[in-house]
Amino acid sequence: MDYLAPPLSALIGELEKLPTIGPKTAARLAFYLLSASRADTAALSRAILDVKDKVRFCSRCYSLTEQDPCALCSDPKRDASVVCVVGEAKDVYAIERTMSYRGRYHVLGGLISPIEGVGVGQLKIKELIDRISAEGIAEIIVATNPNAEGESTALYLARLLTPSGVKVTRLAYGLPIGGDLDYADEVTVARALEGRRTL
Amino acid sequence: MRVTALEVSNFRNYAALRFEPASGVCVLVGQNAQGKSNLLEGLSLLSTGKSFRAAREVDLIKTGAPVARIAASVQTRTGEVQAACIITRAGEGARKKFLRNGRSVSYAQFLGGIAAVTFMPFDLQLIAGPPALRRRFLNIALSQANRQYYHQHATYLHVLMQKNAALKTPGPVNGALLQTYNEQLADAGAHIIAARAAYVRRLSQEAATVHARWVGAAEELSIAYQPSPDISDETPAAILKSLQAALSASSALEVMRKTSLMGPHRDELSFAVAGAVLARFGSQGQQRTAVLALKAAEYALLAQATGEPPLLLLDDVLSELDADRRRAFLGNLGHLEQAFITSVDRPELPSQTARVYQIAEGRIADAPLGAALSA
Ligand SMILES: Nc1ncnc2c1ncn2[C@@H]1O[C@H](COP(=O)(O)OP(=O)(O)OP(=O)(O)O)[C@@H](O)[C@H]1O
Ligand SMILES: [Mg+2]
Ligand SMILES: [Zn+2]
Repeated sequence: MDYLAPPLSALIGELEKLPTIGPKTAARLAFYLLSASRADTAALSRAILDVKDKVRFCSRCYSLTEQDPCALCSDPKRDASVVCVVGEAKDVYAIERTMSYRGRYHVLGGLISPIEGVGVGQLKIKELIDRISAEGIAEIIVATNPNAEGESTALYLARLLTPSGVKVTRLAYGLPIGGDLDYADEVTVARALEGRRTL
Repeated sequence: MRVTALEVSNFRNYAALRFEPASGVCVLVGQNAQGKSNLLEGLSLLSTGKSFRAAREVDLIKTGAPVARIAASVQTRTGEVQAACIITRAGEGARKKFLRNGRSVSYAQFLGGIAAVTFMPFDLQLIAGPPALRRRFLNIALSQANRQYYHQHATYLHVLMQKNAALKTPGPVNGALLQTYNEQLADAGAHIIAARAAYVRRLSQEAATVHARWVGAAEELSIAYQPSPDISDETPAAILKSLQAALSASSALEVMRKTSLMGPHRDELSFAVAGAVLARFGSQGQQRTAVLALKAAEYALLAQATGEPPLLLLDDVLSELDADRRRAFLGNLGHLEQAFITSVDRPELPSQTARVYQIAEGRIADAPLGAALSA
């Protein structure tokens, strides 16, 4: 890209490193930024630096926050006796979006997967155990992904925590709302049958 | 079940092809390396979602092309089904996408939409070859008719990989984690063993019946399922209990050897004629006849499970068999709807032959049936 001014080709190069951005999109974004106002580009570059400088892990629940402890951990209206355990920080937002959960969270920072070198020690499991006694937690809701690793992690936590007297529950498997029973795959229907309830 | 149209582009040595095969037996003849097996591979791919040659998936795409596409219209008992598989180059490898009736579906949903039994010379090693071949046979046969089986088996293999990785991780093994994996393996493994036990019992009966028709009742063929661990009672609850017990009993040894030693990934099948184990005592001829009976039984059970005759894909296998065995095998499939048979040298054609197609350099031409018969 010798024909481009070096700062421009440097910007295209940086943008291309981002996920889902190919060379064409990177060039389009770069030319757009060049034509945008100085104030807009300054705001963008500040926002990028700010997430690096100011966002960190909450020392209690390990979700992402600017203030430590995070807003969820310090909100007195949330039920401190119930903790929802998730794999990644982004899962917190998936559950918060439902607006139907009023307890607290604990982010493990991944799921147990020895294939990928993630053992029990790499996750915030010991930290979860410490919280149970320190915060008087009565119920742990395990909300890990419904795949093999999510299941292993949930079963491991149940094995580890149940003896301490805390109630451990797991999100139910169900049918997608608004879908046709006809179209759901057999495995989903079979799991939903296992998790049926009395009416 | 029958294919009414097959459309292929940039698949193996086919640039573009539209093929409307006849019903009945379609014989594909041609010199070596013209694309006969490639066509069967395409059909089999639409059934199992995988290549029947243990090849790299990217090799399915025609050299130099970015995307391969294989699509078929299939007439089934319940109506017309469109199935398609699209394979795209991605980095060094390839990405597969499956469609049913124009809608994108997962591999698990795609599997078994078209039922097919494949038979090739390599299958003749089923009796005396390594045990992995016999487990693969069971997995393909069961997955096609039973999507739950596919799911349980995929889960089992995935958890097994995690458990083996955990056993190989340096340092002391986490006992609670090992128990967790065993709990998952017992759940999925019990489903697998129950399904295999039920299937093999019916398979053995069916195979014994055809075998007796060919060689007489005195040489009775029997197929025995030998699960790991041994089970005494075939109820799901009893299987689960034996598997749980066997897994915890072998735990200490597994930690020492750093690998899983117990469970259906070590299952075996054994074939016997008149009580003598074929892998050890059977002649070549006896082993061949037993494989033919096994394939005929697989075909019959798949037809029962899906309620209609599946496709039959025979790659080069007839030329491997003597005239008697060839006739015996084909005679047994009297009610087939459609079969595809490849051959180099136009062997004596089966009586159900509908059409002979000449394959040359990735193209198909109709060959007059009379010419083939007199050749
Ligand atoms: N990805 C590919 N791109 C182009 N050509 C390919 C590709 N993969 C395989 N081929 C070609 O396809 C041909 C083999 O076709 P196929 O295996 O169907 O032969 P066949 O007609 O069954 O022959 P035989 O009688 O020897 O079994 C070879 O010439 C091979 O080079
Ligand atoms: Mg061939
Ligand atoms: Zn927090």
